[in-house]
Amino acid sequence: MQLTTSQIDQLFTFTRQHSVEWYDLQSELVDHLANSIEAQWQQFPKRTFEEALNIEFKKFGVFGFMDVVEKRQAVLGKKYNSIVWKHFKDFFSVPKIILTVAMTLAMFLILKISAVKEYIFLGFYLLMIIAMFYEIYKSYQTRKNKKQSGEKRWLFEEIISQYGNFAGIIIFPFNMMARIFNDHERMLSNDYWLIGLCFFLVSFSLFLFIIFKIIPSKAESYLLATYPEYKLEKL
Amino acid sequence: MYICFQNEIKMKNSQLYKGSLNTIIMKLLEENGKMYGYEITQKVKAITAGELNITEGALYPALHKLEAEGILDVEIAKVDNRMRKYYKLTEAGEKETVNRLSELEDFIRNMQSLVNPKPSLEF
Repeated sequence: MQLTTSQIDQLFTFTRQHSVEWYDLQSELVDHLANSIEAQWQQFPKRTFEEALNIEFKKFGVFGFMDVVEKRQAVLGKKYNSIVWKHFKDFFSVPKIILTVAMTLAMFLILKISAVKEYIFLGFYLLMIIAMFYEIYKSYQTRKNKKQSGEKRWLFEEIISQYGNFAGIIIFPFNMMARIFNDHERMLSNDYWLIGLCFFLVSFSLFLFIIFKIIPSKAESYLLATYPEYKLEKL
Repeated sequence: MYICFQNEIKMKNSQLYKGSLNTIIMKLLEENGKMYGYEITQKVKAITAGELNITEGALYPALHKLEAEGILDVEIAKVDNRMRKYYKLTEAGEKETVNRLSELEDFIRNMQSLVNPKPSLEF
């Protein structure tokens, strides 16, 4: 005996109710549960759908699907980090390194000749924060709308739209920036310090540009590479 | 009392077999080409006559990890009224399977010598 389409839908609902919100994991678990229920019916034809489902679900242990979900998140999180790292390395190898060096030097020259370098310095950082908060807000709204519309959600897509674990990183240099601003006469007048800071700011901006702009713009191709079923669903 | 005893057997099993789960999966895929999760659990059960049960909570994380490491590749097929995800070894996975199996064989041989040492002829 085979499961009906409505029973398959019930299984999707069941996985959703047990903390599996993403279609990629849901479809794999639904197939697993369905296979097991059909196998049970061969041996015990009188067993109800609910009884068979309960028996199989118990095999996942006391935490249910949580273990599978958490480990999958960890694996895809690592994959995301390696993509970020690959893009970041690109900016430090030929030909993009020319752009990185040019940006560092341009920033150095602007700060060197300016009379209000500390304000330019802080203004640049604050501008980055505002732009990134705007991006985070936009992405949050998109995710919220997608959740409400009941559209299929993919775990790797959410990791990309939540910037892995990096969203909080923008606040990280805040103390350092404030300290430099307060002590600008000493720190920004030394050329070595200044070039070092410019290099840091450029690298930091590149990093943010990668996680907030480059990777989200390529999300579709990363999803196609991660999920063969993504293509089928989009057809 | 019975339940405690059963649990212990399961625990012993999981402790001893835990380190070999990936190798078991790779070996099965080497022999069978492509397989899906449920099929793997059933195959292991059948081969070991029900003595070894791969728990579902351990199987899928292991499959996903091997996939991320580039050892496994996935294929999707529509079977009946649902999607089925098949796993198969990549080229790198095939080479890695040979290495891991030889490691496992060494391990088994060493354990055998430790558990059942040959009587020494030295006096």
